[in-house]
Amino acid sequence: MNFLRGVMGGQSAGPQHTEAETIQKLCDRVASSTLLDDRRNAVRALKSLSKKYRLEVGIQAMEHLIHVLQTDRSDSEIIAYALDTLYNIISNDEEEEVEENSTRQSEDLGSQFTEIFIKQPENVTLLLSLLEEFDFHVRWPGVRLLTSLLKQLGPPVQQIILVSPMGVSKLMDLLADSREIIRNDGVLLLQALTRSNGAIQKIVAFENAFERLLDIITEEGNSDGGIVVEDCLILLQNLLKNNNSNQNFFKEGSYIQRMKAWFEVGDENPGWSAQKVTNLHLMLQLVRVLVSPTNPPGATSSCQKAMFQCGLLQQLCTILMATGIPADILTETINTVSEVIRGCQVNQDYFASVNAPSNPPRPAIVVLLMSMVNERQPFVLRCAVLYCFQCFLYKNEKGQGEIVATLLPSTIDATGNSVSAGQLLCGGLFSTDSLSNWCAAVALAHALQGNATQKEQLLRVQLATSIGNPPVSLLQQCTNILSQGSKIQTRVGLLMLLCTWLSNCPIAVTHFLHNSANVPFLTGQIAENLGEEEQLVQGLCALLLGISIYFNDNSLENYTKEKLKQLIEKRIGKENYIEKLGFISKHELYSRASQKPQPNFPSPEYMIFDHEFTKLVKELEGVITKAIYKSSEEDKKEEEVKKTLEQHDNIVTHYKNMIREQDLQLEELKQQVSTLKCQNEQLQTAVTQQASQIQQHKDQYNLLKVQLGKDNHHQGSHSDGAQVNGIQPEEISRLREEIEELRSHQVLLQSQLAEKDTVIENLRSSQVSGMSEQALATCSPRDAEQVAELKQELSALKSQLCSQSLEITRLQTENSELQQRAETLAKSVPVEGESELVTAAKTTDVEGRLSALLQETKELKNEIKALSEERTAIQKQLDSSNSTIAILQTEKDKLYLEVTDSKKEQDDLLVLLADQDQKILSLKSKLKDLGHPVEEEDESGDQEDDDDELDDGDRDQDI
Amino acid sequence: MAYAYLFKYIIIGDTGVGKSCLLLQFTDKRFQPVHDLTMGVEFGARMITIDGKQIKLQIWDTAGQESFRSITRSYYRGAAGALLVYDITRRDTFNHLTTWLEDARQHSNSNMVIMLIGNKSDLESRREVKKEEGEAFAREHGLIFMETSAKTASNVEEAFINTAKEIYEKIQEGVFDINNEANGIKIGPQHAATNASHGGNQGGQQAGGGCC
Ligand SMILES: Nc1nc2c(ncn2[C@@H]2O[C@H](COP(=O)(O)OP(=O)(O)O)[C@@H](O)[C@H]2O)c(=O)[nH]1
Ligand SMILES: [Mg+2]
Repeated sequence: MNFLRGVMGGQSAGPQHTEAETIQKLCDRVASSTLLDDRRNAVRALKSLSKKYRLEVGIQAMEHLIHVLQTDRSDSEIIAYALDTLYNIISNDEEEEVEENSTRQSEDLGSQFTEIFIKQPENVTLLLSLLEEFDFHVRWPGVRLLTSLLKQLGPPVQQIILVSPMGVSKLMDLLADSREIIRNDGVLLLQALTRSNGAIQKIVAFENAFERLLDIITEEGNSDGGIVVEDCLILLQNLLKNNNSNQNFFKEGSYIQRMKAWFEVGDENPGWSAQKVTNLHLMLQLVRVLVSPTNPPGATSSCQKAMFQCGLLQQLCTILMATGIPADILTETINTVSEVIRGCQVNQDYFASVNAPSNPPRPAIVVLLMSMVNERQPFVLRCAVLYCFQCFLYKNEKGQGEIVATLLPSTIDATGNSVSAGQLLCGGLFSTDSLSNWCAAVALAHALQGNATQKEQLLRVQLATSIGNPPVSLLQQCTNILSQGSKIQTRVGLLMLLCTWLSNCPIAVTHFLHNSANVPFLTGQIAENLGEEEQLVQGLCALLLGISIYFNDNSLENYTKEKLKQLIEKRIGKENYIEKLGFISKHELYSRASQKPQPNFPSPEYMIFDHEFTKLVKELEGVITKAIYKSSEEDKKEEEVKKTLEQHDNIVTHYKNMIREQDLQLEELKQQVSTLKCQNEQLQTAVTQQASQIQQHKDQYNLLKVQLGKDNHHQGSHSDGAQVNGIQPEEISRLREEIEELRSHQVLLQSQLAEKDTVIENLRSSQVSGMSEQALATCSPRDAEQVAELKQELSALKSQLCSQSLEITRLQTENSELQQRAETLAKSVPVEGESELVTAAKTTDVEGRLSALLQETKELKNEIKALSEERTAIQKQLDSSNSTIAILQTEKDKLYLEVTDSKKEQDDLLVLLADQDQKILSLKSKLKDLGHPVEEEDESGDQEDDDDELDDGDRDQDI
Repeated sequence: MAYAYLFKYIIIGDTGVGKSCLLLQFTDKRFQPVHDLTMGVEFGARMITIDGKQIKLQIWDTAGQESFRSITRSYYRGAAGALLVYDITRRDTFNHLTTWLEDARQHSNSNMVIMLIGNKSDLESRREVKKEEGEAFAREHGLIFMETSAKTASNVEEAFINTAKEIYEKIQEGVFDINNEANGIKIGPQHAATNASHGGNQGGQQAGGGCC
């Protein structure tokens, strides 16, 4: 703290002794009092002194105040006082009472106290934890204090917050606070927190800052909202500017779509408050951040596309064409539209189709160009229009063609009803206003940029100067004006146009040289010893002359490369010429213009260089210098070498092509072989599959056959009656027979019985008559014997009868039982009883089934046959494809041989070439010895490849 | 473009294991053999489809170095899924998994789905960590596991999509509070979008949608 003592000691008018004492006493009370009330009163008193005696309170009380924050957290009031006091000490914001001249010193105070406070990083962490307190009296002063610390010493405080766990995330919660003051001050805190710190910006974005901020802006009424909207927009800008990751996240989160509503400013708006203008300005800048030409190309183009798809561009164009828009908003809108369309064909096409709501409708481009060449329009607006026009033409061949076409004789509207872009540009080019001249010249140059077709087309343009005189070509008119010696901007503009026009266009060079006044004019300008003012024009003249040499196709005998170079040597001197050429890139405004495409000049005098032109200078300065230094002999030799080189090149190219073709063929054949192999494999698997299917079918068939056999057997027995549940029909019939037998047996027995009965009857009657005839008890023993015999016989017969009838009954029940069973069976099988009819029905049924089965078998057989046929066919196919493969193989082998041959041939040629190369090399070195630098010629091709890859990459990213 | 859900992911793991390459392979379908060292955190996004629903994945690729650890930690809380990556050709990157996992578990919400990834599976000849070891680690710590190659793109889609499926299932089960954006999940805007916007504009514009 020694340095602070120094500050304090240096103060002549220090506080009265008593104040310092009071502060000391208060600090002692804060430090030592055991009563909370007492401590709280002391801190309150310190707070009231802290504005007036900032230095003293700061030095003496800071550590006590920090201690209070650590220990008295339970009392929000004392915490609030302590935070407020610290805020007063650290912040420079509320300084009205202090005299002006001490402001500087107080600023130092703020940062020095901040340094002391953050020396203990825990102090910042402590503050962060206080911010988690919901109590308004703690949170709000806490937010303000932390904001102040961040404003004083951003980077170290940011670092402490970054490494404290979830530090940044906790601060994001402030945006969700329902108390507006805290939310709004939270926005300010986040502004300070995110300033120039990419890591924090990303975390804040990750914590859904975009969503929150866009919600707040919407809630507050977009551009009609108050300063909160402005603060949110500034925070959004902090998060997005130069932060590609966040820009990508913003785009991916579909937040671009939400920006569209910002620009829905109806015509019936209730005027433009200063706040609204500020808000809209920031909104437009935010759009530009996303499509800035300095962003990675892929990033910008995907945002541009999104802006068209969601209608944002269309909305911006509406503002562009609306009335009553404040000039600076209009200017910024033009700049924004410029960057939204720059290099993006879809957006450029849309822009070309926009019409102003005038009667009759005029293209927006025309309306804008009218402003550009209008002296009365604000300078920044005119620059913005030029930028817009440049962006419209950037990488837009179609647009370039359309603009140039409006100048061509065939397309000029004869009725003169509507002004065309071309007319406006010509008007601007030759008006008396030098800024118009410059803008129109640069605009026209952009219509030719990198477009050889349009450079040639523009040569056709003829101008009617005055009645009676023949028309003059546009090119001629430019040089005429140039030679008249007008304002510097006019001449610089025209020279830049001519340089652009003639570069890479030998026909234009010829046209230019055809006018015999031009070369003397240029050499005159370059040779003269003029003041600093004219140096730039001299440089540009040198460049134009250099271009006329470098892109000269020697079609004009008086102005061949050689002759022009001799002229330089004679009239100017090589060294002098090169020095003058160097004036361009050494100009103080040159590097400024080379940085950004936007023509952004602090005032009209600075309007000298065009960004695209600086690129052209960079490209040509070196090659022209080389070309000038080359002698004519060298030129000739070079020419010869070039020719031989070309010849060799041709041979090499020829073989290269041949090899390429053969390579292609080989590739094709390889592919064919591989597809055939593939097919073959497929077929083979198909064959195996089908074979196994066939096997399956065979198995099935066999199974069926076996089953069928069985079925036939069963069905045979069926015809005799129902057969189920193990009761065999044979058995039934056997039983029936038995029954029949038994019956007949019974009948026999009965008849026997009847016989015996009659015998018995006879005997009885004879006995009775015998008794009566021959006395009662005179039974002869023979008779008795006979009787007994008979009786025995009788009883035996009776028992036999009895058993037989039992037997019969049993059989009868058995029979009936069987019949019953048969009946139930018949019920389940549609067979009733055992009548013939039923049997017949059964038979037909079975027969039907049989035939069905037979049919099935037949079908199966057919199928098998078909399958086996198919198999044979497939096998045949397989064989043929195998043979094709073999043929192809041999063909391939042949080709291989051929390729090897041609390779050998090529090798031979290469050897030959190497020889030639050796020769060339020696020629080259000879050339080098002579002082000629020799160029390599293979590079351009490689570069093109690289570009392609780059484009692909872009496309990938866009998807 | 309209989506049903938005999930936030982070990719963590030692430096050089191929986190940035995995992201690039997933978002751009290409492999960049020489990749810049990630400074802090980089963002990438892609749309996927699960269960017929469009799901937008927003992915933050982090720097593995210790010096960026405190920055990386800020991303755990708001992420619904994490890909924890090691390099199968470098055992030390596997050994550090425990530290990474502790860090993640400590700072993330408890429902965060973690997918363990053994990357560079194309370098079989230089393998130092067996697939079984990765599986065992995952089983032990309740993670999903996959071996991937950012170079050949093998399993890269699956790694990102399977993580999303797991999150999606958790949502269906009601485990996640989808109304709390701090969980790294957001419901798509399509419900809101039908009422809002579509003012007096040409219809075609909104439908285009290729702005993702
Ligand atoms: N062979 C192979 N190399 C890979 C793979 N993934 C990444 N690499 C290489 O590993 C290096 C580190 O990759 P990078 O993505 O930057 O790792 P990070 O630090 O985790 O982001 C790079 O050189 C990559 O080319 C892969 O799956 N296979
Ligand atoms: Mg990385």
